[in-house]
Amino acid sequence: MLAQQMVNGVLLGATYALFALGFTLIFGVLRVINLTYGFYFSAGAFIALYLTRVLGLNIVLALPLGTIAAGLVAVAMDSLLLPRLRHRRTAELDSLMVTLGAVLALYSIMTAWLGPDIRRFPPGTISADALEILGVRLTAAEGLILLASFVLVAALMALMKFTRLGLAIRALAEKPDAAGLMGINVPATSRIVSFLSGALAGAGGILIGLNFNAIQPYMGESMMLRGFVVIIVGGMGDSRGALVAGLALGIIEVLTAGYIDSGLKETVAFAILVVVLWTRPQGLFGRAVGQRA
Amino acid sequence: MKRRTLGLLAAALFATPVLAQAQSVPVGAIEILSGPNAAYGIAIKAGLELALDEVNVKGVLGGRKIALTVEDSAGSPDQAVNAARKLIGRDKVVAIIGPTISGEMFRVGPVTNERKVPTLGTSTTANGITDIGPYIFRTSLPESDVIPVTLKAAMARGVKTIALMYANDDAFSKSGFDVMKAAAEKAGLKIIDIESFGQKDSDFSAQLTKIKSLKPDAVGISALVEPTSGVLLQARQLGFGQETLFIGGNGANSPKLGAIAGAAADGLIVGSPWFIGKETDGNPAFVAAFKARYNKDPDQFAAQAYDAMKIMAIAIDKAGAVDSEKVTAALAKTDFKGVMGPFQFTDHRDPATAAGVVVLTMKDGKFVILK
Amino acid sequence: MTIPGWLDDFLWTYQTLIHDLGINGLLALAMYVVLAVGQLSLGQAAFMGLGAYSGALLSMKLHWPFALVLPASCVAPVLFALAIGVPTLRLSGVYLAIATIGLGEVLRSVYINWDYVGGALGLNGIPERAETWMIFSLLGVALLALFLVGRSRFGRAMEAMREDATAAAAMGINVRRYHLMALVTSAILAGLAGSLGAHEADFISPGEYGFEPAVTILSFALLGGIGNPAAPVAGAWFLTLLPEMMRDLPEIRLALNGAIIVLAVLFLPRGLFGWRMKRRAA
Repeated sequence: MLAQQMVNGVLLGATYALFALGFTLIFGVLRVINLTYGFYFSAGAFIALYLTRVLGLNIVLALPLGTIAAGLVAVAMDSLLLPRLRHRRTAELDSLMVTLGAVLALYSIMTAWLGPDIRRFPPGTISADALEILGVRLTAAEGLILLASFVLVAALMALMKFTRLGLAIRALAEKPDAAGLMGINVPATSRIVSFLSGALAGAGGILIGLNFNAIQPYMGESMMLRGFVVIIVGGMGDSRGALVAGLALGIIEVLTAGYIDSGLKETVAFAILVVVLWTRPQGLFGRAVGQRA
Repeated sequence: MKRRTLGLLAAALFATPVLAQAQSVPVGAIEILSGPNAAYGIAIKAGLELALDEVNVKGVLGGRKIALTVEDSAGSPDQAVNAARKLIGRDKVVAIIGPTISGEMFRVGPVTNERKVPTLGTSTTANGITDIGPYIFRTSLPESDVIPVTLKAAMARGVKTIALMYANDDAFSKSGFDVMKAAAEKAGLKIIDIESFGQKDSDFSAQLTKIKSLKPDAVGISALVEPTSGVLLQARQLGFGQETLFIGGNGANSPKLGAIAGAAADGLIVGSPWFIGKETDGNPAFVAAFKARYNKDPDQFAAQAYDAMKIMAIAIDKAGAVDSEKVTAALAKTDFKGVMGPFQFTDHRDPATAAGVVVLTMKDGKFVILK
Repeated sequence: MTIPGWLDDFLWTYQTLIHDLGINGLLALAMYVVLAVGQLSLGQAAFMGLGAYSGALLSMKLHWPFALVLPASCVAPVLFALAIGVPTLRLSGVYLAIATIGLGEVLRSVYINWDYVGGALGLNGIPERAETWMIFSLLGVALLALFLVGRSRFGRAMEAMREDATAAAAMGINVRRYHLMALVTSAILAGLAGSLGAHEADFISPGEYGFEPAVTILSFALLGGIGNPAAPVAGAWFLTLLPEMMRDLPEIRLALNGAIIVLAVLFLPRGLFGWRMKRRAA
């Protein structure tokens, strides 16, 4: 049982990491608790659902298209909401508020439009067969989530480290004003960060929707609180930290539920959050991109 | 909290011209029409309105029409109370149908009971609902009447040990679990494990892996249809086969289970006061009329609401006046044959009999009678 | 004094709403006092929950009179505020916000897992003892007190901290002490609001004190503005009345609610009621 529980923990952790990646990026760079993030997650899943169900596209095509579309939705929303606030003294608070209002509106418009029912990808979108090794089972969707979370983290880290764009993003995160003076196009770079963050959210929404077969307008909202835990414990803006923290959280939750008491699964997650904030607010892993107050 | 609301200002701004003709009889309903749980309220509203149109062909009290005002609670007990106060204080309704979930009824019931306005729950299955007071009725069978029937069917198939799972952060699921646990103990089943989860969770792997290692004959799930579907889907991923019997509570009793979980739900059994193929007199006509009007199959919630609207109309007619006290007295004497079957209230205003409960099983994504 | 029938009817119809106006006003003030010293603490829903649960238990299990229950309901929130305040106030901005949200969730899962307080079913049958006059006199007293504090030299210190905590510290203001005092005051106000709410609603459950109410309370204060203590209360009243004014449009109610918040923050950065308090020049 322990082997299967470890696999369960890693898989759950990978979904947390996958969700948190884009969240930590936009938080780390733009200094925004972007509550609309959960909406991009839902949007990605719904767009891919439309592509597969209505247009009959294969998931191999629907996944990248849905990802890009979610990124574009994020660019549109963020450019509407955030630039105006950037130079306010209370930018953190105001952006929290404005994205809160926006996400409230977006979820309910989406629910009014699409209905509150849970939907799923057409059966057979992804093979339901499971690989069974020594009594431990892994399905194709689960394998895909695992793979995607590692690949995306690696890609994001490479982008940040080895490209001019990555340099610009890091400069923006460290010193937004200085970045502008040094000739970095701040609005354009911010839009790219929004796009990346929304695309990561969308990809996460599609993959997680594929695995749990439950796509519904509010699906992003239920992930948000876990997202907070992962980005804080991992260190904000730190994609590798998000992966490690996500995996650790998943394993701890599963072991708590499997061996102590399933009622404490959630409690443990938030207790960890609080303890980390008290003792190491910069996050447990690595060094974050940004400077802390 | 939750955007508690109301409208002093509204009173001035929108001075509600609800009452159609002075002759009509105002009845209120409070249902969840928006937010994440809107599916239940929308089904109920559809059932109510279908019955209302049939009732209003002849009318009540010698040809007066019933004017039904359906208020949205958005699933918030606060908004449900505000709606109840508005219906009673402003619209002067003679009776109220709803609200949708037990948590709302626990807030609304004391208020309507204090004002002596009969309140008829159509979907509230928690224990203790009618204990609120002498004006609180329900047509929905409490879980404590349905679950023993389901467990009996399970035991007839050789089930001796059971593991229970429930959503611990939702009043409906918790109360259903309490009933399931008591009923299992009383029936002599051995409960070998109890696991909980959050109703918005999508991962149940830790709990299911543990249950699988304990090899129970059956797994009982008390949760709304969404997490129940999630549990089943993941159980199949983890290799649960047909040797384990899944038993659902009232939450599993929805065609959405098949729509979401697909083949993963096959084999699950659930007790239900109604199902689409039920052979009562009015049922085929109801199903056909519902399909014609809404272009989809009715579910249990719509069927219960349909009967409840008719029961209410008859009570108003029998009361002989638009008078809450008289309607309450008439409701208590209900003797009705509806799509659910024959219906009467107990002295405690619960449904008198669970004889109509049938045990259904999922087959190819649809509920059929368990043979 | 006799109340005319129509007024009695009106008051009964809107009783819950009227009470909510008072209770949400107190919650908005609980948010205001921390924002006024430049702290973003989202623990008000947690304080409110502690006040509600401890008050309900004192009434239901120990049968204390309400005059004792109400002040006693502040004890648990204040102790909690002191316990979290010392380590947490080192955090700034969004970190503090997230820490307090996390604590709120921990408390929520304690209520859910603790059968003595009913788990998810909550506590039922709490005596209805909160009268309209109690709620509004407490709100009035709190408003008056905060106005007086705001106009005193404390008020100036608070404003200095809000503008720039480092500079304020350099000017000799004991920033941490102010922060802790603000947090304790916030706990008292929210604890009172929670206990009043529990004793007017008859029923409480864990979901009422989680993440969603925490951000709703924040939106009261930010929508109204924090220039003076009346502004957040006005913000709370506006947001409390809003959904009821839109009762006839259930489908888009939440959407409009959200849109109004967005527009207010974008175009009215000081809140809807954002005038500043006058104070004698320093």
